[in-house]
Amino acid sequence: MKNQTPPVEIVQDIKTLWGVDRQPMGCPYCKRVFLVKPQENKNTCPLCQKGTLGSQPARLRPQEPEKLLPFKIGQEQLRTIYSAFTSGVWIKPPDFTPQKLLSRSIPIFWPLWLVDSDINGHWQMEAGFDYQVESSKESFAQGQWQSRKQIETRVRWEPRLGEISYHVDNIAVPALEEHENRIRMTGGYHLDQAIAFDPSRIADAVLEVPDLPPEDAWPMAEPRVNQAAWKVSEQASGAQHSRNYAIKANYDQLNWTQFYLPLYATSYLDDDGQPQIVIVNGETGTIHGPQLASRKRGLKIAGILGVVAVGLLLLMVICALLTALNPILGGIAVLLGILGFGTGIAAIVPAAWPASWNRKQKPLRIAQRR
Amino acid sequence: MPGKTKHDQSWSPPELYAQVESKVPGVVVYAPKPEPIEEDQSSSFKCPNCGATVTYNVAAGGIACEYCGYIAPVHSMQVGRTADEFEFTLETISQSDRGWGGERQILHCDSCGAALSIPAGALSTTCPFCASNQVNVTASLEDSLRPRFLVPFKVKPDQNKRLAAAWLGKGWFHPDELVSNAVLRHFIGVYLPFWTFDARVDASWRAQVGYERVERHYNAHEKRWETRTRIDWRWENGAVRLNIDDLLVTGTSPKHVSQRILKDLYPFQLKDLVTYEPDYLAGWRAQAYEIPLRDAWETGKQAIREQAKRACHNDIPTHHVRNFSMTADLADESWRYILLPVYLATYKFTDRVFQIMVNGQTGAVAGQKPVVWWKVWLVIAAMLSPGFILGLIGLPLLLLGGAGVVPIGIGIILFVIGVVMSIILYNKAQSWEAG
Repeated sequence: MKNQTPPVEIVQDIKTLWGVDRQPMGCPYCKRVFLVKPQENKNTCPLCQKGTLGSQPARLRPQEPEKLLPFKIGQEQLRTIYSAFTSGVWIKPPDFTPQKLLSRSIPIFWPLWLVDSDINGHWQMEAGFDYQVESSKESFAQGQWQSRKQIETRVRWEPRLGEISYHVDNIAVPALEEHENRIRMTGGYHLDQAIAFDPSRIADAVLEVPDLPPEDAWPMAEPRVNQAAWKVSEQASGAQHSRNYAIKANYDQLNWTQFYLPLYATSYLDDDGQPQIVIVNGETGTIHGPQLASRKRGLKIAGILGVVAVGLLLLMVICALLTALNPILGGIAVLLGILGFGTGIAAIVPAAWPASWNRKQKPLRIAQRR
Repeated sequence: MPGKTKHDQSWSPPELYAQVESKVPGVVVYAPKPEPIEEDQSSSFKCPNCGATVTYNVAAGGIACEYCGYIAPVHSMQVGRTADEFEFTLETISQSDRGWGGERQILHCDSCGAALSIPAGALSTTCPFCASNQVNVTASLEDSLRPRFLVPFKVKPDQNKRLAAAWLGKGWFHPDELVSNAVLRHFIGVYLPFWTFDARVDASWRAQVGYERVERHYNAHEKRWETRTRIDWRWENGAVRLNIDDLLVTGTSPKHVSQRILKDLYPFQLKDLVTYEPDYLAGWRAQAYEIPLRDAWETGKQAIREQAKRACHNDIPTHHVRNFSMTADLADESWRYILLPVYLATYKFTDRVFQIMVNGQTGAVAGQKPVVWWKVWLVIAAMLSPGFILGLIGLPLLLLGGAGVVPIGIGIILFVIGVVMSIILYNKAQSWEAG
């Protein structure tokens, strides 16, 4: 790999970068580094909510990012998304409301690398060409045969090999170690909808700094560049399908630029006062995060129901004792007994349900980076 | 070289690969070189020792010179039923429809250079100027539509004559002169074209199936209990899978070869299929297909669906069936174009044309035989006369006093038997002539 890209620089104290008012700040807890507005110093880390952001040097590339994917989810849509997200839980923590989630939402752009490269090498593969064959379906009814012709498309596989001298542009490569996890959480982005980097588009957003420099990201970039070469080779062969592609190539004129993807991060406090991070894909609205139920509220409800049950049972006893005075009280005692026992049994549900529900929550969480 | 890359100037494609069109600039594509399709695959057969004409000799199993005794084995491979099969691609079907080459073709004799005009479809001929045998497999419209496999002759010409003579000599109703050399001299060994078809058939049927049930009922007229059989009808369905393997359909037009006689020559043992070599055709006639793939496949499909129908009926547990319907899905259909060996004689007898064939592999004989009709009528008269005579004797006896009932009764029975046997004999005689 011959890298023509200028190396990253250690940036400590800058006021403006790429035409926007940003300063590198890091989270001492999750070690993520962001470019945030200077006035947001001492804020809590938007992606772990555990550490306080503070100034720190960052490994940055001075070149402006090449592209970004703008936010398509606005505040109204976000409110709807949060409402649907919270309504899925029966006994919620008091902090787990759409309003709270919305008020804490922070727009974040997270990075990808875009790699341009010249590919010079030779390749081989099995190329699949579609062809059509004639088949038929015969049917017999009322003493007569009828034949229906059917056309099937099949694939003929043939070996192909060749040489490639081709330039590929804008191959998306992870710039964060947790890239794959994050994509699993947010779902995919439509990278073809990206626009050229525009400082006005990131006015209020926090920018996340890559933690994989190009030299570390290359092992992930190479298969993606080869994938592009595969597609080109298939196209060159005029094949409709291909398999078992192998390439031996040199990659020259490598050029790495940055690409930013939109994300909302928000949080709510669980029973123990621990922040739970929820993230939303800023383009598609896919939401991910734990939907925890409140054990404390569950126990509180169970306690109330328990007290009601005990009260009903006491009344049952009193009515039973007074049955000698009025036989009707015997019937009431039976009724109260049924109600009391029923309420007592029902009290088990809110006590047990939150723990059972919480066990089923998604194990993949944004803050589990450390 | 266009598109040569910088990375490794020493890289070059393997020898069996050639550059093909690339649809993307900057990418060079190589594909395996196609097998060369020879424009004119005619071969002539001359003895390398004495220059005499050589032919494929059945006994020697190779090319042989009858003058100097030169023998060369044929370098082919026995592939049997594993011989390559082809799919019904739309291209192949449409190209098969266009037939084998054009009209009459000009073949240049490799031996003397003469230009020979040969009829369309003939795969071999003998040069009238130098008597060399020529085999001509011209490039077909598609490579797969050339014969790729054949079953070589196993029955020697003299053996064929013995078999044919024995068959012709059998039976009193045929002329004695049939066994003469005049008829036997008409035999020629010819490779006839055939299509073989394979398919997997998934058939499903639906029908009302009747189950017999014996029940007791009271007969009010007879005033007694009786039993009777009733049929309970139920809708049922089922599925059957069939594997059709090497269904044989002729590629020769019925105008030239009787299809009925040809079917009587079956079966051919396809385990003896070998890869095509022109040597096998040296000195023998061979014919290309006249019935194209599509038409042959239609014939094949008719046979397949009838087989499927029989299989569905066999799947039904009783013989009471009504409202039967079925579907048959054909899958993995494939075909093969092969040549099979047949000795063929077409001869005239009392101004009528008769055909006789001998399976060149198994020695089975089938054909048409002229019938001496006066012998047939004589036998018919002999079969009818006992009944007739007894009737004649019995009639006056009956008129005289009633004793004639017995001979008339026996006479009528014998006459009816005679009529039935006469009809059978007449039909048989007709079929001998029809083949």
